[in-house]
Amino acid sequence: MTDRIAIAGVGQTVYRRRHSDKNSAELVREAATAALEDANIGLDGIDLIVGGVAPDALAGIHNIDLLSISRPGIPYFRINTGGATGSSALLAGMTWIASGRAKAVLVVAAERMGHATTAQSIFNSIFDPIYEKDISMSTISMVALRATMLMQKYGFTSDHWAGLAARNSAVAMLNDTVDNPRFFTKDQVRSSAVLAWPIHLLEACPTSEGACAVVLMSDPNVGDRKAAWIHGTGALSDTYAMGDRFHRPEGSLVNLVTLERSAAKAYSEAGVTDPLNDLDMVEIQAPFASSEVMAYLGLGLCDGNDAVAFTERAIDGTAGIAIQPSGGPQACNPVSATALIRITEAALQIQGKAGRRQLDGIRRTISTGQGGATQFSTAVILGNERP
Amino acid sequence: MDGTEPLTIPGNWNFSYRYFAGDTATRFFSELRDNSRIMGTRNPVSGNVMVPARTFSDADYVETTEWVEVSNEGKLEAFSIVGTKFPGLPDPPFVLGYVTLDGADTAILNHVTGVDLSDIEVAAQELLKQPRVKAVFKDQREGRITDFCFEVLHDGAEK
Amino acid sequence: MNKTKNQAHIYGAAVEMSWMDASQSLTDLIFSGVTAALKDADMTLEAADSIVLGASDLIDGRSLSSMVTAPAAGAYMKDEIRLSEDGLAAASFGAARIEAGESQVTVVAAWGRASEGDPLAVSRAGSDPFLHQPLCISEMDVSAFRLSRWLGRYPDNDASRRAASAERQRRAAGNPHALHSVTAPRDVPYPLREDESCRWGDVVAAMVIGKAPGKVLISGVGHGTDHADLGERDLLEMPALRDAARLSLDAAGINLSDVGLFEIDGMTLSDEALSAEAVGLCPAGDGFRALAERQDINPSGGSEAGWCYPAMGLVRLIEAYQMLRAPQGPDGPRRAMATGLGGGGAQTATAIVLEKT
Repeated sequence: MTDRIAIAGVGQTVYRRRHSDKNSAELVREAATAALEDANIGLDGIDLIVGGVAPDALAGIHNIDLLSISRPGIPYFRINTGGATGSSALLAGMTWIASGRAKAVLVVAAERMGHATTAQSIFNSIFDPIYEKDISMSTISMVALRATMLMQKYGFTSDHWAGLAARNSAVAMLNDTVDNPRFFTKDQVRSSAVLAWPIHLLEACPTSEGACAVVLMSDPNVGDRKAAWIHGTGALSDTYAMGDRFHRPEGSLVNLVTLERSAAKAYSEAGVTDPLNDLDMVEIQAPFASSEVMAYLGLGLCDGNDAVAFTERAIDGTAGIAIQPSGGPQACNPVSATALIRITEAALQIQGKAGRRQLDGIRRTISTGQGGATQFSTAVILGNERP
Repeated sequence: MDGTEPLTIPGNWNFSYRYFAGDTATRFFSELRDNSRIMGTRNPVSGNVMVPARTFSDADYVETTEWVEVSNEGKLEAFSIVGTKFPGLPDPPFVLGYVTLDGADTAILNHVTGVDLSDIEVAAQELLKQPRVKAVFKDQREGRITDFCFEVLHDGAEK
Repeated sequence: MNKTKNQAHIYGAAVEMSWMDASQSLTDLIFSGVTAALKDADMTLEAADSIVLGASDLIDGRSLSSMVTAPAAGAYMKDEIRLSEDGLAAASFGAARIEAGESQVTVVAAWGRASEGDPLAVSRAGSDPFLHQPLCISEMDVSAFRLSRWLGRYPDNDASRRAASAERQRRAAGNPHALHSVTAPRDVPYPLREDESCRWGDVVAAMVIGKAPGKVLISGVGHGTDHADLGERDLLEMPALRDAARLSLDAAGINLSDVGLFEIDGMTLSDEALSAEAVGLCPAGDGFRALAERQDINPSGGSEAGWCYPAMGLVRLIEAYQMLRAPQGPDGPRRAMATGLGGGGAQTATAIVLEKT
């Protein structure tokens, strides 16, 4: 990072299964207007809009962003990196500012997956059509494969997955952006249907629609706004082939090498040497409990020997760092927006604007993004002070 | 609003594609169909044998140079037992697994059979032990990845 | 321009076109194109720290394209990002990474394989589901709307239309990258003519850019955006492209007359003609004549040489780059402009100005 850049404003719609009362442009407008108001800037002060929309097929409109996010007269492009789309879009906006092409950028990520009456069959069509499409692969099996590996390798049990899911559901009850949050206990998770062992139905994130918007500004333009400053970032891509990640020296399928390295770059930029002590909060783009655990390892919050014990502390809320104070993607996971929501939630906590879910003393945070076949990783560190 | 239900209109996407498998995957599938052999290709930089066969290595960004037949037996690395019916997928329960075949340096995904799925928890405990498995070929092969599946080898076959 | 700022230089590039080559998978084609660009730059992938892609899920028939395709473009353990935009927008973003100091060397790649799917059918799914999808509007229909409006305003141009078509066929025949055989049917709605459509192709374009000085400099970029609703647009003015071109010249600190070579993207001949007008290369109504007569506009033959969204803006840029780089006399062009059009009937547009160093 070469220049100081801050999040000067954020805006979100409520996230719910279907926003049938709004078309996509109206949904986007709600989040974008809120973010612009929060940043006290008009659209005329915006030099670039970055749209974040993941697979076209979920919305059933090719390039739905052109109809809903772009504005005439303002440079615009769309980022699509699957589940990491939202955070990749934010990083793209930062690049534009750091290059000197913009002073203020509006980043908008919008999800319309409620349009898809068969969302899961779309997720099943993301795989390689030549070697894998015929094997009945699905995103949930992909997660389950990793969860079984974590169980083999570190000794996790189904109780851990259920425990994290239950904790996230309890926390999400305070999150007013989640419409109708679901509360359930560990036992309820364990007795719900097996989607793909060891993943149970109540562990899986619900279908969610909504839009999230962030205004980025370069330092001199932030002025006296109460901003969340970007202290460090990182992003890396992995091979698609999951089968190539079992025996490689860089790390196995459950070691998120790209997240580990993205976080290492962000830590180095932010001067973070001991993440557990130097950071106050993490928001992890983890649609499943096992994905959350892999991120603990990747972020260096624990190591392999300590992974089970750390997870148990995370379930009990005694991990020494705030984890998923929003309830995380297990509470709502609008695919295109989810990684931007992780950053937005961190910004809200830092700015003291998180409402009923506000925690005390949040000064430094890390938010992750994760897309593709656990393949595209991003890490963004925010802080309350100008770096 | 005046109580009118918001309008929804049905839609259905149906785009046709013809995916070109290319020479490498074509040979891989022909070997399955014609010779019941599982073939990989070698990355000349690392020496690794990639299965299924690849034209190039993502990691070293070089073309592969040599075809290598690997064993039909190997180790189950990771698995998932699909327990719920999803649109477009077979009826549950069924097992998917990544298997490293002997002689290969990467794992290949396919269906895993030969385990009693009447109690998923019991089946899972067996599969967590990472058993040895063997590729079993269909009699009627058509040059697709589904020409074979893996079968768990029991009676102390684990090495 | 501010001399202390980072600027993006081009080290090498490649355009590879084919049609229904069953011996190559999509990822094989991408690997081949990026490898050729690296070879042209006399570099290996190790030198690159960043990858910027322009690719479309529905064109590729992979619901999350870059998940399967990015590694073929060299993304392994690199800071890779994918724009769902025309390849020229990706090139602009790649240059931004260099200018921002985030990258020393970036590979920009974009592709579209028309033979594997149906780009026009896909484009029909891009319009508003309530107002336009029931009418089955494709990008080709938008092009026909434009031409019909142009013909209404500028009648009696048939001779220049035919001359422009003949001229670009002649140029495409001499373009070493171009496809020459018959590819897909060129059916078009009236008033477009078959010879004014594009030659559909399987296209991969890749470019290697970086901070250290190279043979050619990206000296200006510009982006423009139009209304989403076709009914709100002035289809003849193409304000998105007009803005993009003007902003790219402003960023380069030059005037249009300083540019000696133009590679103008358009799916059809008339899109190219109207784009030439929007860029300001000729008065409104003279677009076809300019394409027919001026040697400095689309010497590549444009979309007659092979075309598939979303690779084409990057193809135009590479054509311009290679012509700037080619040996030429003292009067040869020192600066070139390439343009690229996005989806939604060119709702977005990008322009890039290149300069010999």
